[in-house]
Amino acid sequence: MRERVLVAMSGGVDSSVAAALLVQQGYDVVGATMKLFCHDEKDIPDRPCCSLDSVNDARRVCETLGVPHYVLNLESAFSHDVVDDFVAEYAAGRTPIPCVRCNTFTKFRDLLRKAEGIDARWIATGHYARIENGVLHRGQDHAKDQSYFLWGIDRGVLSRMLLPVGDRTKAQTRDVARQLGLQVISEKAESQDICFVPDGDHTRIIRKRLGADAPALSQGPFVLVNTGEVIGMHAGFARFTIGQRRGLPGGFREPMFVVDIRPADRAVIIGPREALLGKGVVAREMNWLVAPLEPGAEVEVQVRHRAEPARGTLVRVDGEEIEVALEEPVSAITPGQSLVLYDGERVLGGGVIERGLGVRGLPVLAA
Amino acid sequence: MAEPIYLDHAATTPVRPEVLAAIEPFFGPRFGNPSSMHRWGREARAALDEARSRVAACLGAQPDELCFTSGGTEADNLAILGAWRAHRDAGRTALVTTPIEHKAVLAAVHQAAKEGGEERFTSMTRDGVVDVASFRAITNANVSVCSIMWVNNEIGTIQPIPELAQYAHEQGAFFHTDAVQAFGKVAIDARAVPFDALSISGHKIGAPKGCGAMFIRRGAVIEPLFHGGTQDRGRRPGTENVAYAVGLAVAAELAVKEREEHWRTLEAQRDRLEALILEKVPDAIIHGRGAPRAPHVSSISVPGTDSESLLMALDLRGIAASAGSACQSGSITPSHVLAAIGVSADVASAAIRMSLGSLTTDECIARVGEVFPALVQKARGMVAA
Repeated sequence: MRERVLVAMSGGVDSSVAAALLVQQGYDVVGATMKLFCHDEKDIPDRPCCSLDSVNDARRVCETLGVPHYVLNLESAFSHDVVDDFVAEYAAGRTPIPCVRCNTFTKFRDLLRKAEGIDARWIATGHYARIENGVLHRGQDHAKDQSYFLWGIDRGVLSRMLLPVGDRTKAQTRDVARQLGLQVISEKAESQDICFVPDGDHTRIIRKRLGADAPALSQGPFVLVNTGEVIGMHAGFARFTIGQRRGLPGGFREPMFVVDIRPADRAVIIGPREALLGKGVVAREMNWLVAPLEPGAEVEVQVRHRAEPARGTLVRVDGEEIEVALEEPVSAITPGQSLVLYDGERVLGGGVIERGLGVRGLPVLAA
Repeated sequence: MAEPIYLDHAATTPVRPEVLAAIEPFFGPRFGNPSSMHRWGREARAALDEARSRVAACLGAQPDELCFTSGGTEADNLAILGAWRAHRDAGRTALVTTPIEHKAVLAAVHQAAKEGGEERFTSMTRDGVVDVASFRAITNANVSVCSIMWVNNEIGTIQPIPELAQYAHEQGAFFHTDAVQAFGKVAIDARAVPFDALSISGHKIGAPKGCGAMFIRRGAVIEPLFHGGTQDRGRRPGTENVAYAVGLAVAAELAVKEREEHWRTLEAQRDRLEALILEKVPDAIIHGRGAPRAPHVSSISVPGTDSESLLMALDLRGIAASAGSACQSGSITPSHVLAAIGVSADVASAAIRMSLGSLTTDECIARVGEVFPALVQKARGMVAA
C-alpha cells in the first residue's frame, strides 16, 4: 500500500514541485490549499500568494499531476492563532513574524489534524529545510534556507514531515517545474509579502482590528537615546522596527536608527549604529526540536532571517524562557522576531525574542 | 477501490440518454434560428414551440406562460427583480423571503433592496419550515414580491407553498417560488396553486447544465433583465437555445411521469441510509427530520466531526457528498440555512449533505451505511487510527 501524504499547496513553485516530487517517489499524494482569510472583491490581483488565483494554480497543478486537490477553510483558526497575535505584537511595540506562528499552528498542527482524518501518514510542504534522522536541518541552499521560520513546530511532528525541495536549490526547483510542464508556476514571482498584508502596509490590518485611534497608530515622540531629548513626532510606533532608518528625522552627523520602541509613552527611540548592539538575548516560548540543552551549552544563534549565525552560550533556561550570551555583539536584536538556535546545519530550537541585552549585560536602553 | 458512489444529485445530475438523443439533431441538420422566416427557421420554431408546450404542460401551465432561461439562477433573478422593478412605482416596496433560500434568490432580493426595496425575512421553525404566522405578519399591503422556495436544497424540507401563495395573493403581492429542487419530486400544478412565478432548472432533472425555465402567470407583468430582440415576448431577448429547450422538455416530461415511483424509491433508500447511520451513530442529527421532506436530500451532522475532513475522507473512499455551500475558492463556508434554523455553529460545521437520485442503488446505500459511520467514529477518535 502506498503511503498517503497531504501536501500543503500554495500554488507557488516550491510546494507545486514538492507535490510533483512526491508523486514521482510513489506516494499517494493529496493536495490541499489552505484558505486563511477571505478573498473579497478587494483582492489584489498581482499578489504572488494566497489569492484566489493561487488556489486555482494549485488546483491546476494537481490536475496535471493527477491527484485530488481540496481547499481547506482555516480562516477562523488562522485569524485567532496568527492575525490576532500579529496585531497584539505590533500594539506592544514589537515586530512579529506571522509566518512562524502559521507554521507552528496552521501548517503543522491544523493541517496534521486534517491529515489524520484522511489516514495520511505524512504531511509535506515546499519549505527549504531538511529533516534527517528526526532532526530539522537547514535547507541545502543556504540562500533559500527557511529553517528560521520552523522552530515552533511540535518536535513530535518532525517524524511525519516531508520537505521534498529542502535538498535542492531554487534554480533546481524551477527546473523541475519546467521539466514537469508546470510552466506558468515555474515563472511565478517569488512571494515576499506577508500573505494577509498583500500591499506591504501592515498598519491596515492593525487599523482594521484596533481602530484608527489605537495608540500604536497614534502620534508619539521621537526620542534621542543618549539625552532623552524629543526631536520630533511620528505617526504611530507600529510603523517602526528596530534598525529602521526610513522615516526618521534628519540633520544628524551620523546615520540614525530606531534602537527601541517604548509603547508606554508611544516613544520611538533613535540613536547611532552602536546603540543597536546587543551582547545577549532573552527569548520566550522556547521550543526545543532536540533534547533540551542545559545552561553552559555552546550554540550558534540567528536573531533574524538571513543573518549570519553568531556564536553564543546558553546561560539560563527557565521553563520556556532562555537567555543566550553572545560572543560578539549583534546588531538590531528585535523583540517579536525569532531567536533560533543552531548547531551547524541542525536546528536545535527557538523562541520569540523578548529583549536584547546590552554590552554590560543590562537591557539595551533600560527605560 | 470499489466503484465510486455519487450522492450529490442535488448539485447536479447526469444527462439522461433520452435527453441526449432528443437534442442531438439540433446540433446537426436542425440548426436553424427560430426567428428566421425560412424552412430552417420554421423547423427550429416548431421544435421550440413544442418544447414550450410540453414544459408548460408539466407545470399545469399554458405555453405563453413559460419562459426559457439559462437555468435556475436566471429564472429566480428574472422573476424577483423583473416583478419588483415592474411594480416599484405602484407604492409597494417590500420583498418577503426566507433566510434559507438559495443564494440566487437571496442575492436578487438584496439587489432589489439596493434599488430601494425593503427586505423582510420570515422566521423559521427549528425543523426548517417557514413559520406561517411570521409570514402572515410581514406580508401586508406594502409587499411587492414574495419569494419562497418549495423544497430546500440543503435539508430537503418542503415549504407550505399552496398556503403561502394563497395568502400572498389575498394581500395583492406577487408570489414567486424557486422550485428547482421540488420539480420532479413534489406535484406542481399552476392551476391549483396561485403562485405568479416559478423557477425550474434543467440539470437537476437530467437535462444539460445551462437550461431552465420560469413560469410567469398570464397577466403578470415583469421587466426583462436583458435588452435586445423580441424573443419570448420580449421577456427574455436573445436567440433561443432550441436544443436545450427540447432537452428540458424531454427531461421534464420524464420527471413528471416517473415522479411518484421515483419518490417511493428515493424515500425508501433515504430512510434506509439514515437508519443505517443512526444505528451505528445514535447521536447523529438529521436536519429537518421533523418536517415534511423531499426524499432525495439527507443532511446529517455528527457532533465532534467537521464536514471538511469528512468530505475529504469520503471522497478519497470514492463517495461524493457535499456540505453547506462552497465559496468561490472551493472551500466550505458555514451553511446559512442551518444557521437560520437555529443549529449551533459547531453542529452546522459538521453537516454533510447526501442527495440521492438516478445513480443511487441499494448497494450504494448499504456501502455508505458502512463507510460513513466508520469514518465518523474514526474522526471522533472512538476507534484507534
